[in-house]
Amino acid sequence: MQSIDEPAADPPRPESYEPGSEADFERLYRNTYRRILGTLITIVRDRAVAEDCAQETYERAFRSWSRWRPDAPAEAWLHRIAINVAISDRRRERLRQAGEVIRRLGRPAAGSDPSLAAERSDLLRAMKKLPPKQAAALVLRHYHGYSNREIATALGVPEQTVASRLAAARKQLQAVLGR
Amino acid sequence: MSDNERELELELHRVLDPLTAMPIPPREGRLARGAVRTVLGGAGAAVALKLMTGVAVAAAAVTVAGAATTGSINPLDWGQQVSQHGQAVASDARHHGNGNGNGNGNGNTNGNGSSNAHGNNGNANDHAKDKNKGHTPPTKGDPPSDPEPTDPAIHPTVTVSPQP
Repeated sequence: MQSIDEPAADPPRPESYEPGSEADFERLYRNTYRRILGTLITIVRDRAVAEDCAQETYERAFRSWSRWRPDAPAEAWLHRIAINVAISDRRRERLRQAGEVIRRLGRPAAGSDPSLAAERSDLLRAMKKLPPKQAAALVLRHYHGYSNREIATALGVPEQTVASRLAAARKQLQAVLGR
Repeated sequence: MSDNERELELELHRVLDPLTAMPIPPREGRLARGAVRTVLGGAGAAVALKLMTGVAVAAAAVTVAGAATTGSINPLDWGQQVSQHGQAVASDARHHGNGNGNGNGNGNTNGNGSSNAHGNNGNANDHAKDKNKGHTPPTKGDPPSDPEPTDPAIHPTVTVSPQP
C-alpha cells in the first residue's frame, strides 16, 4: 500500500508525436490501430469493412498529419476521423447491399471462425442499428474507457451532447436486447 | 456505474477483443491507394470516362466515314483512295488546261492544271476559265484535242492533299 508521504505516481502520459514525422505516424498507427478498429466494428457492417475504413482513416490522417496540433490526444483526433469515415461508409452501404447479395449467391456458408461468431453477437448487431454517433459515444465510453470530456474532445461536441447521446444509446440498446 | 453499464462493458470486451486481436496489418501506401482511387473513383473517374467515351465515339465516326467512302475498313486503303482521287483530278486538270491552251494558242493553263492536281478544289478550272476572258474564243471549226471535263462538280469535293 502506498504511503501517504510518498508522492502519487504520475498517470501514464499519452505518447507524444511530432506532427509531420512519418516515423511518428507509423508509431501512432501501431499504437492505435486496434482501438480504432474496435470503434469502427461497432459502427460499420463487418470487420472487413471496418478494416477498410481503418485504412482510410489513417490515410486521411496522414494527409493532414503535418497540420495536426498536439494540443489534443492524437487518438481522439483519429477517432474523430474514423467516425466520419464510418458515417460516410454507412451512407454508401445501401448502394452496396444490392451488389453484395449478388456476390454472395452460391458461396458456401461461413465457417466456424470465432471472430465471425463474435460479429454475429446480439450486442454488435444492436449497436450497428444505432445512429453512428451514438454507437461511437458508447464504444468510446464503455470499451475504450474515455470520459465524457474526452469523448467530447474526440467528437468535437459539448459534453452535454455526449451525455445525451450515451443515454439515448443505452436506452435503445436496452429496448432491443431486453436488458 | 450501474450494473447495466458494467454488463455492457464486459459484453463489449467479450465481443470486440477477439475481433481486434489479430495482427496489425501494414499501413497501406498512401500513394498507391490514393492514385487508384483518383483513377477509379470520384470526379477523376467521371472525367476520364467522358474523355474515353469521346475518343471512342470520334474513332468510330472516322472509321465509319472512311469505310463508307472507300468500302474498306483498312485506313491504308483510305489514303490510297484519296491519292487515286487526287491523281484523277490532276489528270482532268491537265487535260483541261491543255485543251484551253491549244484553243487559245498559249500554254499557260498547264500550270493551273498542275495546281488542281494537288487538290486545290478545282481552282484550275476556274482559273482556266478566267484566263479565257479577254482572249479570242476558240474557233468553232477547230476540233479540240481533248474534250472539256464533263462535270466539274464531281471533283471539287476533294479537300485532302494526297500523301503517298
